[in-house]
Amino acid sequence: MKGKYTVSLWLAGGLLLLALLSMLTGRSGFMTPGDLTGALQGDSRAAELTRLILVELRLPRTVLACLVGAALGLSGAVLQGLTRNPLADPGLLGVSAGAALGAVIALYTGIGMLFALAVPMLGLLGALAAATLTLSLGSGGGTLVLILAGAAVSGLMLAGTALVLNMAPNPYAAYEITHWMLGSLADRGWDQVWLTAPFILVGAALLLGTGRALDALSLGEQQAASLGVDLSRLRRRVLVGTALAIGAATAVSGTIGFIGLVAPHLVRPLTGHQPARVLWPSAMCGALLLLLADVLTRLLPLDRELNLGVLTGLVGTPFFIALVLRLKRVAP
Amino acid sequence: MSRIAAQSIRVRRAGRTILDDVSVSAGAGEFVAVIGPNGAGKSTLLSVLAGLLKPDQGSVSLDHRQLADCTPRELARVRAFLPQNPRCEWPLPVHRLVGLGLTPMLPAFGDFSAADVARIDNAVDACDLTAQRDQPVTTLSGGELARAMLARALVADPAMLIVDEPLTGLDPRHAQDAARRLQQLAQVQGKLVIASIHDLNIALRRATCIWALREGRILAVGAPAEVIRPQLLRELFDVEACVCGSGAQAFVDFAP
Amino acid sequence: MKVPLLSLLCLITSVATAAPQRVLSLNLCTDQLLMVLLPPQRIVSITWLSRTEGDPALLKLAQQLPVNHGSPEEVLAARPDLVLAGKYTTASTRALLQQVGIPVLEVDSAADWEGIRRITLQVAAALGAQSKARELLADMDADLAQLAHERPVQPIRVIGWGGSAEDVPGRDTLFNTILESAGGVNLAALDNGARSFDLEQVLLADPQVVMRGAAYSGKPSLRNSVATHPVLREKLGAHMIAYPEAVYGCGVPRASQLARELATTLRSASGP
Repeated sequence: MKGKYTVSLWLAGGLLLLALLSMLTGRSGFMTPGDLTGALQGDSRAAELTRLILVELRLPRTVLACLVGAALGLSGAVLQGLTRNPLADPGLLGVSAGAALGAVIALYTGIGMLFALAVPMLGLLGALAAATLTLSLGSGGGTLVLILAGAAVSGLMLAGTALVLNMAPNPYAAYEITHWMLGSLADRGWDQVWLTAPFILVGAALLLGTGRALDALSLGEQQAASLGVDLSRLRRRVLVGTALAIGAATAVSGTIGFIGLVAPHLVRPLTGHQPARVLWPSAMCGALLLLLADVLTRLLPLDRELNLGVLTGLVGTPFFIALVLRLKRVAP
Repeated sequence: MSRIAAQSIRVRRAGRTILDDVSVSAGAGEFVAVIGPNGAGKSTLLSVLAGLLKPDQGSVSLDHRQLADCTPRELARVRAFLPQNPRCEWPLPVHRLVGLGLTPMLPAFGDFSAADVARIDNAVDACDLTAQRDQPVTTLSGGELARAMLARALVADPAMLIVDEPLTGLDPRHAQDAARRLQQLAQVQGKLVIASIHDLNIALRRATCIWALREGRILAVGAPAEVIRPQLLRELFDVEACVCGSGAQAFVDFAP
Repeated sequence: MKVPLLSLLCLITSVATAAPQRVLSLNLCTDQLLMVLLPPQRIVSITWLSRTEGDPALLKLAQQLPVNHGSPEEVLAARPDLVLAGKYTTASTRALLQQVGIPVLEVDSAADWEGIRRITLQVAAALGAQSKARELLADMDADLAQLAHERPVQPIRVIGWGGSAEDVPGRDTLFNTILESAGGVNLAALDNGARSFDLEQVLLADPQVVMRGAAYSGKPSLRNSVATHPVLREKLGAHMIAYPEAVYGCGVPRASQLARELATTLRSASGP
């Protein structure tokens, strides 16, 4: 078999390199590894500040980029496998918009101030509602129907978000949230890691366990059922897993599109098209892509930090268009 | 497994009766051809027998167990099912597609064991796909794809094979080939094969038993030479037909 | 040269003689000038934001006054004698009002003490409230003299920061003017370049005090969670103080009081 583990090892290596780069990169410039060791040993005020930046800011930010990116890449791969649709992605299916709606409700009604878990939990509920709606509207209708259902649900969730913002007592809510929805990992800390990691990890565990069923599903629903796959249980599992992972990821990072779409396509030429073999590499590829995007937002010489969602959108949309064009050529 | 039996099956969908009081049974070594006009309920009957569709009334038993009491995974180990025009949605290599047939035997994680790989290679060889072993399924011809799907169904060595219209869309050579394979599965390997078939000549020459279905009801059950007769064909399809010759030379012709 | 000066004089005297009795404001900052310069009965309406987001010292008065949302219909229906507007707000409304002959006074925003003096006198002249304006400006000068007298030897290092999504007030802002008069040094004004800071850059600037805008009057908002990052709160040991952001955005004479209040806060926050 052409390297299932080889691909994972390459991805892990790339991930480690990028993580190191992410630790060394700030908007105020690069640290050399020498600076790094110097800072870790010295006890001047400057060394203390550098330590704070590394341990309390860059490390949690790097960890979050990996977690969120993996959540996106993995859910994209699983959703593409479940719907047998190469255009499926948490963003396009409205799951991210649903998560955003949940998080916005928590943030602006004050529920989020009651207890810290409220934001990821409402994000999860929003994602679950959106995913359920899209998949029940769009199931069995082919690629086009599913994408349309996703667009409709996205629209509904965005309208809900706008409604919450209109009714929010805070007049600057719309500005804040417009910015937040573009996605960012700036200024995050360990608090956010502890808050979201359990959700993402449980969601990812659920999703990684769907591989065998997704494989069987590539033969269509009837054959999969004849092979002993319980389709409604599979759907529930994917819904809950995606909602856990994407709900929590969106609550901490805002909406970040296209990583879920692109990551599986990038790894398929290396792993083959069998859905189960795409899952884990796609999660790693998603982490890699988001980490890369996050490092880029810090490197680009702009007055203001570019939002992650803007960057992924700029790169992801042409990819999406290319996919659509290819589908148009392949499909009758 | 030696015998499957359906008793008084009734299936209603959207206010329409699709199967009405159908009772049939078949056992190991038989090759049952289900014939009947379009919309007669052949596919529905096969789905019910495969345990994929719960009938509104009646029951299906596998030997002495009710089908409704078996888990999908248990069932998957003893019977294989191929729907009409089976497709694979991703460009998997042929041996990977065939390997999917082992799904009910595999643990939740991990790749194939050496024994699994050997079974897959056997099934690939048995269906004459050795040259196409690593070719993406999406690039196969219609006949090759049908053989690949058959290999997929046979790789787990099921006792019962249920196939919905396996010959549709195949050219004469491939249709004959596919029918011969099904016949051998039943007669040489002792499996129970149930297939819906439109080609009456193939049904007449290859099957061991015919179930004739019209408007959700069983019209006739029996050996091919007994069932496939002008009078029944008139009743079944509303066409004038003659059945000439006998045995392996028998054939059906239709009046213009 | 002579002719424009003469016409300007004529204009001022004509306005002064027929002081507008019904004045409407379309801008958060002109709201504040209007409320301190004129008695409430001469104010037709102020902007709706002033009721919640304006100068806390004027909130009570603002809540008693009628409000507008900046739409042309509201202004036309109210038929004011004079409309006060900002340079960049509701341009279409201003154009429309000029068409129907309602006079509009455009007021610049002021970012330093000289600018405050200029726009206060400008508005006062238009309203016929020059003596009240002179009173306010005399108070302002007294505050500034007092502050200059108390200025600490070593300025206190401060940054105004509400999360990396927001611009940090830099060199040419009223924030900077108030902060410098209060004895602080704005770390964002020393920096050339970045208009927004992320937390890393704030840490590297090593501020003694982080000033956080408190415009949102305690309502749920995203920035609360960002700007209370544990690194700032616990690890850096910088003092976090909240400041009334809306008032820092409006160059009005009361800014000198803010500078005095800030000077007191900074002294206690940066002290041992």
